[in-house]
Amino acid sequence: MSDHNSPTPGHKLVLLGINHNTAPLDVRERLAIPAGRLADATRTLVHQPGIREGLILSTCNRVEILTLQEDAPAADNHTPADLPRFLHEYFSVTPAALQPHLYEFREREAIRHLFRVASSLDSMVLGEPQILGQVKESYTVAREVGAVQSNLEALLQRTFTVAKRVRTETHIGSSSVSIASVAVDLARKIFGSLQGKTVLIVGAGKMADLAARHLIQQGATSILVANRTESRAQQIADEFRSPTCTTAVIPFDSLYDQAERADIVITSTGSPQKIFSRSHGQHFLQRRRSRPMFFIDIAVPRDVDPSMNQVEGCFVYDIDDLQQVAASHLADRSREAEAAENIITNEVAKYQQRLISRDAVPAILALQQAAEAIREAELARAAKRLGNLTPEQQAAIDALTRSLTAKLLHPQLTALRQSARNHDED
Amino acid sequence: MPVFWLKLAVLLYGVASLAVLPAALFDRPRWRHIAIPTAFTALFFHFVALAEMLNAAHHTLPVDRHETQSLLALLLVAAFLIVYASYRTVALGIFILPIAVLLTLGPAFSPSQETILLPHSGWIFLHIALLLAAYAALFLSLLASLLYLIQERRLKSKLPAIRFVAYFETPLDLLDQIATKTLIFGLPCMTAGLLIGSALAEQTIGPSYFLDPKILLAFAMWVAYVAMIFIRRSSGLRGRRAVYLSSFIFLVILTVWAANQLSSVHRFTAP
Repeated sequence: MSDHNSPTPGHKLVLLGINHNTAPLDVRERLAIPAGRLADATRTLVHQPGIREGLILSTCNRVEILTLQEDAPAADNHTPADLPRFLHEYFSVTPAALQPHLYEFREREAIRHLFRVASSLDSMVLGEPQILGQVKESYTVAREVGAVQSNLEALLQRTFTVAKRVRTETHIGSSSVSIASVAVDLARKIFGSLQGKTVLIVGAGKMADLAARHLIQQGATSILVANRTESRAQQIADEFRSPTCTTAVIPFDSLYDQAERADIVITSTGSPQKIFSRSHGQHFLQRRRSRPMFFIDIAVPRDVDPSMNQVEGCFVYDIDDLQQVAASHLADRSREAEAAENIITNEVAKYQQRLISRDAVPAILALQQAAEAIREAELARAAKRLGNLTPEQQAAIDALTRSLTAKLLHPQLTALRQSARNHDED
Repeated sequence: MPVFWLKLAVLLYGVASLAVLPAALFDRPRWRHIAIPTAFTALFFHFVALAEMLNAAHHTLPVDRHETQSLLALLLVAAFLIVYASYRTVALGIFILPIAVLLTLGPAFSPSQETILLPHSGWIFLHIALLLAAYAALFLSLLASLLYLIQERRLKSKLPAIRFVAYFETPLDLLDQIATKTLIFGLPCMTAGLLIGSALAEQTIGPSYFLDPKILLAFAMWVAYVAMIFIRRSSGLRGRRAVYLSSFIFLVILTVWAANQLSSVHRFTAP
């Protein structure tokens, strides 16, 4: 591969890493770098021989090292960069334990991989939004320790732009894929804003807790808790109480008299029988003057009779329904990923084109400066022979020589640019 | 010249009708940024065309079929833009904008040749404008109720969203608010419009005017409209039954409209 793919001539871009696809959790754990140690690791990386610039991305699903390395010929008594050795020494992991899980990308492929990672196309959950923030954090740390300079700076800025473009021009991150966020999405489709909405939690459970927290984040301001054990209900209510969210405990015996106060009901009891029947739904809707109610039934066996969904204004989703919606969103994301891959292919090509043009710049400048020096020297010599010229005559000769030089140089400059492109294609 | 502005407005309504499809169905903000300003520009040219058209005909009220159609289209688009400004939903535009194109096509491309006889022009303008505003409000309410029904069915079916309608999802609560508020807005318009019309008829034709079945039908329309608002407000009627009720009232209004077009009593054009 030609070094015209590199950010600068004489250097090569190398990305080495492991991720959730290539390494099991126990291997990834051994390479994981806590946020507090990232600066030290990055500093150690750029002090390795042969490395000019570097960045380390460490998340729960990947550890990747992006470096700009010196690409000097072997005869130059030059120590090449050895990233596997760095990993081995820094993390005290034997090369044999790491080697089968490592992947390496160079030049164009490294750029493509970086764009894909930041755009969340290489994530375990396609389209998840956290990865871009994590790449930005790594960049900030690397910049602070001086590991990112002009070359990686340009590449990373482009990476952020590409990731933003993917997010705005595709729907890759627009649909929820977790049960709790799907429940919130559905609630928003019914109620629009969740501001001021009341949520009733019947029973207790991790998923119910998570769903309620998502709903509060989206604006729900009141939580009612009903549990057969009143002290447990009180404990849950206390956990949710905050300046923006009021809570109250409903005695389980008066559940059917008070449930209609809630816009959203999350049920998660261990009851073998149904807690809410269709007639309960009709009763609630009548008392709510047909204002809709959303039942999120996370319990197995179910707490809400599925036939309640037929009552006009009652919307009942059980765990299977929520999972089905999440799966369909995941399928949507896969379709959007195709469009995102096209954007990335296009952006990689554009980025390379910019690098190539930049490579040709020093030669173009040198040629222009040499031509200008000749022009000025010839002009000075001719001036002696021409004697006293009026300012208009001087300006006309100056313009004439400039025009001649530009026209003579034009084919050479075009050839230089074209040659840089051809060289890269070879 | 007015016809040129109107043709331009029709063209822009057409563009907005197309742009609103990806904006509403696929939630593409770029298309929304085309649809809304285009609809607004079209509305501006439409207003200019209508004002010039009425001015050129030496009267300030829409009295012939084309002028009334044109004013109704203008009111519908204005109502759509107000709803957009309030609730940021473009879903109604899928129906309103093509209807505006259809309503303005006739006035733009085959202008009326009718001669107009004008009594009490100022009050009649109010009478017509208020009744048209009420019709537009009811039509918008019916559309919002229909969209509510579609959205409710989709949520209840729990089937994975079909890609075509995946983003056609204005929240139910918002659709209900649009349906109720537009309906309430239409009531004073219809009441005042009918009262002004009755007062004018009393002066010009006398009590015999009120024996015309068409006029009685117009009052029946008002009673049905009030009843619908009362039922919606008291029982919180939503979904399927709200659509049935709105459709029934809309049918009555269409009948009154058709009767107005055919009646010899209620015409200003020369025989």
